[in-house]
Amino acid sequence: MIREHGYSHWNGQFIERRWPWWPITRLNLKLAFRRKYFRPVFALSFLPAFFFIVAIYISERIEDFKFMTRGGRLVLFEVNPNFFKSYLASDFLLFMLILIMVFAGAGLIADDFRFNALPLYFSRPLKKKDYLVGKAAVVAFFVLTLTIFPAIIFILIKMLFAGNFSLLRSYPWLPLSIIGYSLFLTLFFCLYTLFLSCLSRNSRYVSVIVFAVYFFSDFLYAFLYNWFRRPFLSLLSIKFNLQQVASFAFRVKPVQPIPWFWSLLTLGLFCFLAGYFIIRKIKAVEVIR
Amino acid sequence: MSLEVHHISFSYGPIKALDDVSLSLEGGAIGLLGPNGAGKTTLIKILLGFLRPEKGYGQILGYDILSEQKKIRQFIGYMPEDDCFLPGMDAVTFTAFFGELAGMPRQEAMKRAHEVLFYVGLGEARYRLLETYSAGMRQRLKLAQALVHDPKLLFLDEPTSNLDPQGRVEVLELIKDLANGKGIQILLSSHILSDIETVCENVVILNRGKVVAQGKIKELKTMNFRLYEIKIKGEKEKWLEELRPLGCRAEITEDGLIRLYLPSEVDSKEIFVAALKAGIQIRHFKPSQYSLEDFFARAVGVD
Repeated sequence: MIREHGYSHWNGQFIERRWPWWPITRLNLKLAFRRKYFRPVFALSFLPAFFFIVAIYISERIEDFKFMTRGGRLVLFEVNPNFFKSYLASDFLLFMLILIMVFAGAGLIADDFRFNALPLYFSRPLKKKDYLVGKAAVVAFFVLTLTIFPAIIFILIKMLFAGNFSLLRSYPWLPLSIIGYSLFLTLFFCLYTLFLSCLSRNSRYVSVIVFAVYFFSDFLYAFLYNWFRRPFLSLLSIKFNLQQVASFAFRVKPVQPIPWFWSLLTLGLFCFLAGYFIIRKIKAVEVIR
Repeated sequence: MSLEVHHISFSYGPIKALDDVSLSLEGGAIGLLGPNGAGKTTLIKILLGFLRPEKGYGQILGYDILSEQKKIRQFIGYMPEDDCFLPGMDAVTFTAFFGELAGMPRQEAMKRAHEVLFYVGLGEARYRLLETYSAGMRQRLKLAQALVHDPKLLFLDEPTSNLDPQGRVEVLELIKDLANGKGIQILLSSHILSDIETVCENVVILNRGKVVAQGKIKELKTMNFRLYEIKIKGEKEKWLEELRPLGCRAEITEDGLIRLYLPSEVDSKEIFVAALKAGIQIRHFKPSQYSLEDFFARAVGVD
């Protein structure tokens, strides 16, 4: 006899959740923070935000930081749309986002495939759409925490230090640009990570792929550009495309003289194909085999 | 009726997987039997709303299988055959998580997870990482996650696969306990007929997409045939020739024992009459138990 206690019935009531995917998101966030080295990596991701806050402070204390000025102008610390673009599309932030995806995103679907957990999910009153939203929300949490959240803080701190609304008065569209670009970045990272997580049952391979695809695309661009000197080759780079879209969103001069919508189209096509593949892969899951 | 379907048909392209299947089951544990390709999986998928039948209708626990799949899944528990878990978790979190997904409030799912883990015998190990669990423990964990939301219908797919004899006995004992007076109906799909015979009162046998038999195992076993174990002295061929027109079927075991299936309407005296006619002596005559295996073999038409 292995029973330690007898069976008792549950007398509670089932609840209709508005967001049935939320338990999936909460659990996966919890699991991500339990991963080795994840917390230091996540903390390190806030480093640029910290420096940008310092920069905002300096920009409001010009007199105290005269030694940093060039021709009476604080070149580095001017808080304008370019400041926000520099933060949201910086190499370091994108690198840290990739690193977070490696730790927290690679196993999101791959582990469920590997440990046959999908039938357990789908034998519940849960749609496949809910499952995907639950997983994507994990990625979205990390991306938005590092983009929209600090950027809004920047605006608030700037207004606090300046004691006026001059930033918003000069650039009333800035909050919309921040929200729009952050959401675009979130959509891209959600589809990028979940797509790669669908490719293998082994989350370690997926981690390598998440890292490799991002850097390989950049390397390929740099390598080919060195040879052919054609600006359109930059469309091969994920990082470049994201930065190009950011340039448009914040109305600053693009890095390469090619139209921003080519980058948007490239990323959009990638997102579309990734989304299609993810849906197909999850739809093909047999709950009862 | 807790489970009833009428005239269900389903095809995969030109292949007819289910052909006018009608079932009506209630209470206790039900065994679902059938050779590979019989349509068991398709039937279960239809019952749980993963496939829409081409024809037919039905209800599970009063919910329509065509339009209320979500509700049905709230009240069923499913224990898959494959080893499945989520890495990096302990049993309590794992079990509570699936309770929550079924629609339980978070706190209650957690409380209930403790209860069912104690019930399946994992109380002491409930805070251990699932990666460290043995095959038997994982099997019990799967049962726990299927029970956490107190389902009214429990679907168990090969619940004793990959288990050692002791583990098998323990899991079967749990299932038997659940089937007896706990108000949980169990649908057990297994290739191990003795498991079904141990746990289930009722059985449904599918073959080539059709229901070839359904009902109480006891009744099915005695309904059409009686079985006798007989030893004879003399030429058995002649005697069997005498019996064949009566609808009898004989199996001869390696040690020369004859297992004779006698149709229920034929009097057992006829065996002796035939022996007299064939000039043989009956040295051993014993009514025997007709096993589920015998019945299954006859129902699906294999020896």
